[in-house]
Amino acid sequence: MKRLAAIVFLIATFVPSSEAQFKLPVLDKSPMDMSYYPVDYPVLKVQNKVNEPLLARVVYSRPQKNGRRVFGELVEYGQIWRLGANEATEIELYRDCRINGEKLRKGRYTMYAIPQPGAWTIIINKETDSWGAFIYDPKKDVLRTEIKTEHLEEAAEVFSMTFCKTETGVNLVIAWDDVKATIPFNF
Amino acid sequence: MCIASRYKNFWLLLCAAGLLAACEQRHDPNGNKVTVNPTPGTSADQPALPVGVDKSPMDMSYYPENYPVLKMQGKAGEKPVARVVYSRPQKHGRTVFGNLVEYGKPWRLGANEATEIEFFRTVTIQQKKVPAGRYVAYCIPHPDKWVVKLNSDLYTWGLKIDSTKDQFAFEIPVSKTNYPYEFFTMQFQSTERGMELAMMWDSVKAVLPIQ
Repeated sequence: MKRLAAIVFLIATFVPSSEAQFKLPVLDKSPMDMSYYPVDYPVLKVQNKVNEPLLARVVYSRPQKNGRRVFGELVEYGQIWRLGANEATEIELYRDCRINGEKLRKGRYTMYAIPQPGAWTIIINKETDSWGAFIYDPKKDVLRTEIKTEHLEEAAEVFSMTFCKTETGVNLVIAWDDVKATIPFNF
Repeated sequence: MCIASRYKNFWLLLCAAGLLAACEQRHDPNGNKVTVNPTPGTSADQPALPVGVDKSPMDMSYYPENYPVLKMQGKAGEKPVARVVYSRPQKHGRTVFGNLVEYGKPWRLGANEATEIEFFRTVTIQQKKVPAGRYVAYCIPHPDKWVVKLNSDLYTWGLKIDSTKDQFAFEIPVSKTNYPYEFFTMQFQSTERGMELAMMWDSVKAVLPIQ
């Protein structure tokens, strides 16, 4: 019977979080993700369907709304925000480009935003491999530009960044809670 | 009688645990995705928006370990030495090596996008100089050893790796772990002679020493 009790205990503790028991790295609450332009470039590549050069990639972490009001509360207006969670959000540009009309050389950068109601300041900074915005240094900015945001009727639960093609270039669309921000790129 | 009823409780508990697990991850009918902690009344399962978190989420490991955090604390050097970006499939009760991951065949060391290793300066692995730069890492697992390969065909999906672009191959032994690792894990760690990239999943651990 003791053995049975032990098995039940093991299963009960094992199912929700098997790794916690052995102090293994747990799955992050805000898992990381990656978006390419062309969209799904790695998949297109293995399917031999690539018909545009690789232009950009973001690597970011994805916090969730979890019933909270995000903008103006969890993410304060007027304060620098890391556009994600954990490691600073990284953007890599494989060609020189223009972001919202402003020139930017190809390279690997970190990316931040200062949200305001209706508009965000988007910041591209050259200090890479950082954690969040905790050591953000405006002296290392390479670009700052203001974009308008839109209201989303249906709130986005998970913070998302994704590229999409437009008639004139490429947009990086950022969505979380009831806000959608669109950053226009030209390559 | 007593034993039978206790066994019944056992199965009830098992079912409850199963249900709990099922509730935690809701499958998206449109693809290989799940939604974590869905909040009712939000658009978590609306395909119109790019939401939903991957079943095998991505992660990042630096050397020095936790470089971005050390940097924030003012304890890190100018540049990290290495970084790996990989996705983390889970065991889910399956035997991984020799079953889910076949012996003798290329395995992407993760899931989804090909695993990417970047060295921010030249390093030495098994007496070979590996120039600074970015590589796709994959492996050919065997019961007693792994052949870890660094490949120059970047930004690809892990299931199709062009082996003609292999740059380096390193044979490393594998060892058994005391406990099964639920999540595939890659971690840079300090050693007496430099550093190592430790790779663990299920009951297998393989270590690639780097100087």
